[in-house]
Amino acid sequence: MKLLSRPILTGAAALALLAAAGCSSGGSAPAAPAPTSSTFGVNATGTVQFWARTVSKTLAQKLVSEFNATHKNLQVKLTLTSINDDTTSLATSIRAGDPPDVVGLNDIDMPAFTSTGSFLNLTSQIDALPYKSDLSPGHVGLGTYQGKLYGVPYWADLSVLWYNKTLFKQAGLNPNDPPTTYAQILSDAQAINKLGHGIYGATFAGDCQGCLGFTVQPGIWAGGSHLTNGDIGSQTANITGNQSLVSALTLYRELWSQHLVPDNDRTDDGTTWGQDFAAGKIGIMPGGYGQLVDLAKPSQLGTEFMDTPLPGADGGYSTFDGGDDFAIPAAAKNPSGAWEFIQWVLQTQQQDQYPALGATPVRTDVLTPAFSAAHPEDAVALKALANGYAPVTMVYDQMFNQAGGPWFQMFTTAVYDGNMTLALQQGQSGLARLLQQATS
Amino acid sequence: MLLVAPSLAMVAVFVLFPLGFAVYISLTNWPLIGPYHFIGGQNYSALAGDPEFIHSVLFTLLYTAIVTGPIFAGGYGMAVLVRSNRFGSTFFRTAFFLPFIIGLATESFMALLELQPDSGAADYLLGKVGLAHATTAWTVNYGLALTAICVIVTWFAAGLTMMLLMAGMQGIPIELYEAADSDGATWWQKETRITLPLLRRNIALSLIISVIGSFLAFNQFYILTEGGPGTSTQPVVMWIYEEAFVQYHLGYATAGAIALVIVIAIITAAQLYLLRDDTSAARR
Repeated sequence: MKLLSRPILTGAAALALLAAAGCSSGGSAPAAPAPTSSTFGVNATGTVQFWARTVSKTLAQKLVSEFNATHKNLQVKLTLTSINDDTTSLATSIRAGDPPDVVGLNDIDMPAFTSTGSFLNLTSQIDALPYKSDLSPGHVGLGTYQGKLYGVPYWADLSVLWYNKTLFKQAGLNPNDPPTTYAQILSDAQAINKLGHGIYGATFAGDCQGCLGFTVQPGIWAGGSHLTNGDIGSQTANITGNQSLVSALTLYRELWSQHLVPDNDRTDDGTTWGQDFAAGKIGIMPGGYGQLVDLAKPSQLGTEFMDTPLPGADGGYSTFDGGDDFAIPAAAKNPSGAWEFIQWVLQTQQQDQYPALGATPVRTDVLTPAFSAAHPEDAVALKALANGYAPVTMVYDQMFNQAGGPWFQMFTTAVYDGNMTLALQQGQSGLARLLQQATS
Repeated sequence: MLLVAPSLAMVAVFVLFPLGFAVYISLTNWPLIGPYHFIGGQNYSALAGDPEFIHSVLFTLLYTAIVTGPIFAGGYGMAVLVRSNRFGSTFFRTAFFLPFIIGLATESFMALLELQPDSGAADYLLGKVGLAHATTAWTVNYGLALTAICVIVTWFAAGLTMMLLMAGMQGIPIELYEAADSDGATWWQKETRITLPLLRRNIALSLIISVIGSFLAFNQFYILTEGGPGTSTQPVVMWIYEEAFVQYHLGYATAGAIALVIVIAIITAAQLYLLRDDTSAARR
């Protein structure tokens, strides 16, 4: 038995290695093709496989249901993917040659795919859209690689500044005059904090790297600067001497050191983010539009809770242009049907439904007086979208979404430890290292 | 040979092939998507000089060293308490084993809530006895987070050790204890001269399971600290996860995983050797 088993096992291992080598023979990425047919996206038939992240579940289900009800010859089949492994699922399906026909991908993950020729080049189709200039600029930027367009906005998840009108009133502040500078955020938070009885001036998810990137960066952008400069492949860190960044970190340092936020903000990893605000105990909360729509009662929106654009240190405003892009994998079996579905979603009739489904439209031209009257809170987010931005980089997750990443290390050192000089050094060296790795 | 062929085929398909493929991936610069190339042993040489990987390995060793003893001692103590069929034994066996049944992920989420400053039970209860104040932030402090996780894991894993040891204890012939009683042996003498030597195999099994579990620790750190503050509580499996599914360096991460497999194999072999049962070999 002993003499027999060894060669058999060795042979099996060798077979495994050979098979592995065989599996890997297709290891080069094809150039991204571009559809050329004039009938592309017109009267398509068959089935469209649509993968959307669970975070857009309500929206995706509603859109697919309505599309299928009105398109008898073209049916969309929805598959929801986990927000934690949607990119690996997509990559695996592409490697296996069996990707979905259209995917709703977190826009910050687009560069990892556009740079490898994984998606159809939709430049001519997007250029032909009459509302192209009204599409969310951050989404379009993240779907662009070397001047070509591989993605089109699907839905927007935008950061805004929520404030509690009731607490503003109780603190002697004007509930119709929300803060438009960092100084006003601080002074308003101080005034509300004085109410006591478990009421705090502000709140933030202090152990949630992604939440902080989503809400702190827009103030920096409103001040006219970004944390990285240049295009993919030649990007550099812009931390040292970045006064907008220093102002933002100083604001959060003051909120923390003056105890204007709850102590457990320090350990809030995002799982309970906003619950204290929705409970009426917080004056000001930088957060997402959809976040509070999910947490608060509809009757509270506009009456008790209202939003305003996230301001910069001395005015101006911006927003993190988050959410998802549509993209069509290069090996999609029904790309024409996928493009027809995408065009249908981008029509104003569908876009107008977004606010009720907890999402912000991706076309700024739907911001009409009627839209503002019907959805005043989402209108604020949509107004900010015109100034929206999202960093275009191959290493966003590594820089901004990790506990050990340079963004959070810098934030921790500046805000909780109060050492701004060291924080900026950590941020500069950390971002520079990751950008260097991304280009090497 | 024919009789073991189905088992061999299963092993080949579900163990050897994936392992061989993983070894191949570890020899490439396999990204999330796009082209890849064979790069030989570069990933392995890079591992040796990667301070984050080395830190995660050292942290995992430290964590394993801390929890292995308490898990074994706790499990042994509980096994002693419930090994006989006295009144209430079944209740306590169930109670002690329940944390293992509930699962570490669920318990980590429970702990996450109870370790919150201001609102968690940990600060409240420890504050009552002067060991903490109401705003102690457990999950963002290296020492406190590690302490909390070790306590949770001991609570979780000791029940399995208890079951393994209790099964061994119940298999020891009662005549041995009766003979010892007639010779006037004390409880301690019976425990150290009869129970422990005859439990050698069960002890080896429970220690191996415990050590392998500690080397593969992920859930509790991912949920409670995300490896933070910084990367100070990042065990090696989390390093592999981050490298593969956040950094998208799948080839490099797989090299780390293969290295971990080798380390675990060596430590398990060493444990088996040190806890080998020479007497049983002599009996054959």
